[in-house]
Amino acid sequence: MKAAEFEYFRPTTLDEACGLLADTGDDADRCLLAGGQTLVPMMAMRLARPTHLIDINRITELQGIRDLGGSVEIGAGTRQRAVEKDPITRRKLPLLAAALPHVGHHQTRNRGTVGGSIVLGDASAEIPLVALILNATLIIHRRDGRRETMADGFFEGPMMTALEPGDILTTIRFPVWDGTTGSAFHEVAPRKGDYALVSAGAQVALDANGTCIRAAIGVGGCAPTPLRLQAVEDALVGQRLTDALITQAIAPVPDLIDPESSVHASAAYRRRAAPQLVQRALLDALSEARP
Amino acid sequence: MPDDRPAASNYRYISQPRRTKEDKRFITGRGAFVQDVQLAHTKHIALVASPYPRANILSIDTSAALAMDGVLDVITGAELTEHTDRLYHGVDLPNVRWHPLAVDMTRYAGEWVAAVIADSRYIAEDAAELVAVEYEPLDAAIGIERVMEPDAPLVHPDHGSNILLKKKFVWGAVDDDFAAAEHTISYRARWGRSSAVPIETFGVITRWSEKDEVLEVWASIQMPQYQEQIADALRIPLNAVRVHNYIDVGGSYGVKRGIKQTVLSGYAARKLGCPVRLIEDRIDNMSGGDAHGPDRLFDVTLAYNGDGLIRSMKMRVVDDVGAYPGRSIQQLGKPISALCGPYRMSSIEYDVTSVTSNKTSQVAVRGFGQAPTNFALETGVEKIARRLGLDRTEIRRRNFIRHDEFPWKIPSGTAYDSGDYHTVLDKAMRFAGWDALIAQRDAARAEGRLVGLGIATCLEPGGGNNIFEHLLNEKIQITTFVESALLKIDGQGQVTVAISTHTAGQGHQTLAATVAGEELERDPDGIRVVHLDSLEALPTRGPVASRMAIMLGSAVSKAARRLRNRMIHIAAHDLAVADTEVEYADGEFTVRGDPARKRSWLEIVFIAHRQLHRMPPDTEPGLQTIEVHAVPGGGKLPNEKGEVQIYPCFSFQAHIPLVEIDRVTGQVEILDYAVAHDCGTVINPKIVRGMMMGGIGHGIGAALYEKFDYTEDGQLLSGTFLDYLLPSAHEIPDIRDTEHCTPSPLTSHGQKGSGEGGYLGAPAALASAVNDALEPLDISLTELPMRLADIEAALHTHANPVPETAP
Repeated sequence: MKAAEFEYFRPTTLDEACGLLADTGDDADRCLLAGGQTLVPMMAMRLARPTHLIDINRITELQGIRDLGGSVEIGAGTRQRAVEKDPITRRKLPLLAAALPHVGHHQTRNRGTVGGSIVLGDASAEIPLVALILNATLIIHRRDGRRETMADGFFEGPMMTALEPGDILTTIRFPVWDGTTGSAFHEVAPRKGDYALVSAGAQVALDANGTCIRAAIGVGGCAPTPLRLQAVEDALVGQRLTDALITQAIAPVPDLIDPESSVHASAAYRRRAAPQLVQRALLDALSEARP
Repeated sequence: MPDDRPAASNYRYISQPRRTKEDKRFITGRGAFVQDVQLAHTKHIALVASPYPRANILSIDTSAALAMDGVLDVITGAELTEHTDRLYHGVDLPNVRWHPLAVDMTRYAGEWVAAVIADSRYIAEDAAELVAVEYEPLDAAIGIERVMEPDAPLVHPDHGSNILLKKKFVWGAVDDDFAAAEHTISYRARWGRSSAVPIETFGVITRWSEKDEVLEVWASIQMPQYQEQIADALRIPLNAVRVHNYIDVGGSYGVKRGIKQTVLSGYAARKLGCPVRLIEDRIDNMSGGDAHGPDRLFDVTLAYNGDGLIRSMKMRVVDDVGAYPGRSIQQLGKPISALCGPYRMSSIEYDVTSVTSNKTSQVAVRGFGQAPTNFALETGVEKIARRLGLDRTEIRRRNFIRHDEFPWKIPSGTAYDSGDYHTVLDKAMRFAGWDALIAQRDAARAEGRLVGLGIATCLEPGGGNNIFEHLLNEKIQITTFVESALLKIDGQGQVTVAISTHTAGQGHQTLAATVAGEELERDPDGIRVVHLDSLEALPTRGPVASRMAIMLGSAVSKAARRLRNRMIHIAAHDLAVADTEVEYADGEFTVRGDPARKRSWLEIVFIAHRQLHRMPPDTEPGLQTIEVHAVPGGGKLPNEKGEVQIYPCFSFQAHIPLVEIDRVTGQVEILDYAVAHDCGTVINPKIVRGMMMGGIGHGIGAALYEKFDYTEDGQLLSGTFLDYLLPSAHEIPDIRDTEHCTPSPLTSHGQKGSGEGGYLGAPAALASAVNDALEPLDISLTELPMRLADIEAALHTHANPVPETAP
């Protein structure tokens, strides 16, 4: 478990990093190193063999949490633990706040970054799921420009995203919901801190009469990518949410997902657990929204 | 009634909650592990592993690897086999050949096929990728029952069968007892393939000293007769092997037995003339390190009466030892020492089969096979209780051997030394708050929650009289299982104890210093304990089998008493009185009834070392002695009925966990865990407690999380910590423990073994708790580990029974 040979770079500015990443004059395999919680073990096992490793941990432009009122921007290089502990997260992004404690262990969250988790695009990871549920805006830089893309559509397949060679995810802009909202995140993992077998997140907004005016629901570990459950959302919006309605709304979940089997959970297990975890998330979100 | 360490008050150091000698160096980062050994010009091994569980090796091309800068050599199985002898098996298997590297055929995915030796591990791994092995893949023998079928692929074709051992023992009148019993119950229990997986993998550095013609070995090892096995395999005299026993071991729990690694490293070191280091990485360790644990299928029938009394047992067990059995095959033998646990059975039939498969080889794991057997036995006790509607604690009480019946001889001939099982169980229940826990469980059940209270007991044989090996292999006629201590008091009056083994975290320095300090009335903190290397060492069996408190403790005690008496003798001579007139206390030798006439510790030390003119004429100068202690009650071969005393001392524990199962996910949460333990006199309470907590953690892993999963065609699925799930601090609850003391009559201070009991009891107790939680649904699970998906599947099947299909 020793990494194959690679060349190491440590830029201190985003421009410098973009330049290094874009410099593709040869058939080199360039790779960014952020928190390294996945990449470094992958390299040690030689499952990842970058020839050029570009360490972006010293780039201050990638750090920080900014409250913009209607949205919150998180620098892609911000440590998961820093986001978890920031009061802005708890106040403005309660779904992210609920999901973060499930991400690995606090030791790994001290290193792991929000952006690193998103660009890895693991279908059972919590942060990509939250980004998808809230349809965050992803701000991407490359040597010749900057663009924005939505999380909806970003996750294309197992560990595959819409990121192109030369792209650096720099900022994630999460929308903040107004009004009476509630959110909750549930998952089952073999042990605390393991990759989720199935995870479910839900955020709902109610009007003054208690009618659901907005719902965002998604599941992880149930398809090649994190999955938003539009059909469940549609069944809830415009309704007064009762236990019966929620039970009815989650009924199609097994047909909306496309899980695979792994050592610790079969596809059948995931099909059975997913609707139940969605239900738990919805009920908790609802009880949080109701005063 | 003995209670709460009654003897403790009589001791100055023994049983006192003193700091251990070892903790300081570990906590301050000053341990000396194998990886800390830095020798000039050390070369590094990386391994080429077979991707196939079973394949013929057609060719190995090492030229590209050898051409790399920094690569010294590539060794293959063919070369190694020419220059070294095959490795040892615990039973007689002339046609099952085990070598450090595969020869002609690979027998499991991950088996090492070639070894690259290079200037650094990085270069060695780069070169290992360039070793081109041509394989002819073959169908693999996978599945504990499948491998026994006549058309199964053969793991060792020359052996002609995948069955390595088949033996049946009958002790007592089994047929009569079955005929007389009112009921029988038959069940199957399955213990999954798990192990101990220490944070530190196995590692070894060897150096051939041309000057001394000695192979020096530094290793993270816990194995009896390590040096003998090295000498045999490398075809060098035993006195040409020097194992440095001071090396700290970063966890073992039985599994640190890297003989193949050592032979490979030793051969390379001698061939290349430089130190060669092989430190397994996690993948080497988990797939290729031959360190998996027992993998067992039990079919048990118990004969019992309506009152719950168990009269007899028929236990059939199959163990899948993987590709090469090594000594681990004998793990079916040790359970014979306590096959009926703490229960009064009058006869037992024990039918053992050991099979080979295309899985990674098995190794000794904590308890040497006893944890699975205890789980199988306790499963039956629970089943009888359920069937009779008898309380699970009551059935145990009815079957327990009584305190006044010791020594109690079980059908296989072993006499248990002492015990008070009723009292310990009562104590465990009181301490746990059994009635309150039952109320808590019932209240939760009323809310529809799945909460269960578990109970299990276990016997922990300690001391290591391994005569069971003869039962499985009559060629083994070894009856000597000793441990030695060398004690000396130097010219300054300081005490040093030299012990002859390595240590694997069991605290032998604390043990030896505490016992020596007690006997000599000197502060253990000032007593030095050193590990003799294997050339200096005295006869030893080593730190296995929960034996060191019993064996080393007794050896040190005897040696220290001898020196104490010798000092009294010197003092008496100097004071011109009879030995019996001198009293020793607190470093002073005083004439009885005449306190003014005395000699100090230092005066006697000075006489012994420097003043021959003041010495008694019959006394050797200096203050030193050797004690070689044999296992109490050992030294005998089995009689014609296969009865024999195996192990001397028997500790006892009662475990009571409370669990809750999530109905949706199948996840088990341990809400509470209480345990009462009785290992006789405790030498150091912190060490006993640490071993018990670690053992319970280990047992939680075996019960709920850990398994080496394989695909049907023989690929290891859980070969990293991503899928091989060790319980972490989150999964191990705060464990509440209480102590009891039933001293052993066979040891210096009444001590017994304590390294294994946590692991022997926890899996059975957690299975009991899970099954209690599932009882309202009439679900009973008898396969470990009980992982969340297994439990969820059982809940799902219960809720959605398969509809009967129309004819």
